[in-house]
Amino acid sequence: MPSNGIAIRLENVTQRFRVIHERHDTVRGLFSKLFSQQSSYHDFDAVKNVSFEVPKGEMIGLIGRNGSGKSTLLKLIAGVYRPTTGKIQITGSLAPLIELGAGFHHELTGRENILLNGLLMGYSKSEMLEREQRIIDFSEIGDFIDTPVKQYSSGMYMRLAFSVATEVDPDVLLIDEILAVGDAGFQQKCFDRLRSFKRAGKTIVFVSHAMSQVEEHCDQVLLMDKGSIVATGMPHEVIETYQHSMALEVVGAH
Amino acid sequence: MIELVRDTYRYRELIWALALKELKIRYKRSVLGFMWALLNPALLMLVLTLVFSKIMRFAIPHYAIFLLCVLLPWTFFAQSLSYAVESIVSNGDLIKKVSVPKLVFPMAAVVSNLINLFLSLIPLALLVPAMRHPFYWTWLYLPVPLLALTIFTLGMTFFFATANVYYRDVSHILQVVLSAWFYVTPIIYSLDFIPPNYQWIFKLNPIIYVINGFRLSVYYGLLPKAPSIIASFVCAFISLFIGFAIFSKYQNDFVFYV
Repeated sequence: MPSNGIAIRLENVTQRFRVIHERHDTVRGLFSKLFSQQSSYHDFDAVKNVSFEVPKGEMIGLIGRNGSGKSTLLKLIAGVYRPTTGKIQITGSLAPLIELGAGFHHELTGRENILLNGLLMGYSKSEMLEREQRIIDFSEIGDFIDTPVKQYSSGMYMRLAFSVATEVDPDVLLIDEILAVGDAGFQQKCFDRLRSFKRAGKTIVFVSHAMSQVEEHCDQVLLMDKGSIVATGMPHEVIETYQHSMALEVVGAH
Repeated sequence: MIELVRDTYRYRELIWALALKELKIRYKRSVLGFMWALLNPALLMLVLTLVFSKIMRFAIPHYAIFLLCVLLPWTFFAQSLSYAVESIVSNGDLIKKVSVPKLVFPMAAVVSNLINLFLSLIPLALLVPAMRHPFYWTWLYLPVPLLALTIFTLGMTFFFATANVYYRDVSHILQVVLSAWFYVTPIIYSLDFIPPNYQWIFKLNPIIYVINGFRLSVYYGLLPKAPSIIASFVCAFISLFIGFAIFSKYQNDFVFYV
């Protein structure tokens, strides 16, 4: 286990995906594969040899263009993927907020989804019932809590998902872009909560394209490109590097 | 195998919640809702009783009971498999976003159908006195074949759920397998109808021993003999060991194929 105040440690982590050109997920496909000799896939590394550490109580920003590997890296930390090579160590409990209401079932009510979501994250029923009222209060869902979530707006979805993930009091919180939804008032409330999280010594990994949010809230920023970390450091420096490289590309294209 | 017992215990509340969710969604939007779990077998019984006592006269007395006491467990088996075969694929969105032990999904499918089976035993217990069939004390033996059948079913669901992740044809093949399997199993008939020199072929069917336990205790008021009980549990555990071994070998790769 990582000690001395390290919450997340990645050592030479690589995630390799097999890109199948023609999917052989039917028996007919299997037969055609058996009879043709050419390979129908190629491998590519979505995350390439990544190593870093996040100290406890820090909020770390993960930036980079689409397809640079941010989400894959987040899913590796969340344990959705087992890394092809390398080691990942997490200290304490973890709550992923990876996509809007992943684990919400749209036929179930908000209240039923609170329980299901908590159980999916590994909490017990009694722990979730104890927190239920606080989750409902924070989410500002009100009477809609007993309505099936398929009738929720995307803002309501996000509020409920954020409330569940933060109210279970995890040691490590992973957030993937979802804070873009919701009105300014609730966003403010979310960031207030993230600040109190940090004060309580909890660790946050924050993936976003909103550079102002990253610059304002993160202690450290990692810039990813083509699966590798290409820059690490203070938010304003790394963001500047990123924006500079984007600008260069635009100029180069003309 | 230790992993199976440990994770089942650790995630028991999740499995239960997923099973209830499945039932809730199955009966959603129907006026009678959960009552259908009771009504379905009850109406089936009504039809069977009418058909076999008034229209087609069979040599078997109280044929409806003879049939239902094994048809209900069979339905549990077939329904569990039909639900579980898709359980990994249909929860693909979740598997791609949250780290959760994959075994909860086929397990929840089995548990939800087990609840259904228990509910369907209520109308059967009402039918027995209604047809003036003796209510035997051997009903108390039912938990034993129920346990063997559940273990057997779990093993099969683990296997089929895994196979379906890689080849989606499996869920279609399964339906053919199940209907063929239904007719080679003595459900609508009795093993006694088969000429003695062919009976050994039928005895290769691994589900026959547990099915036999249900019919003996409910219809005949007898207990199965020890070799038959042992055979039912041997088949059940072979199914579970093989099914779970395959499932646990591939489960970490599911996320790439769903």
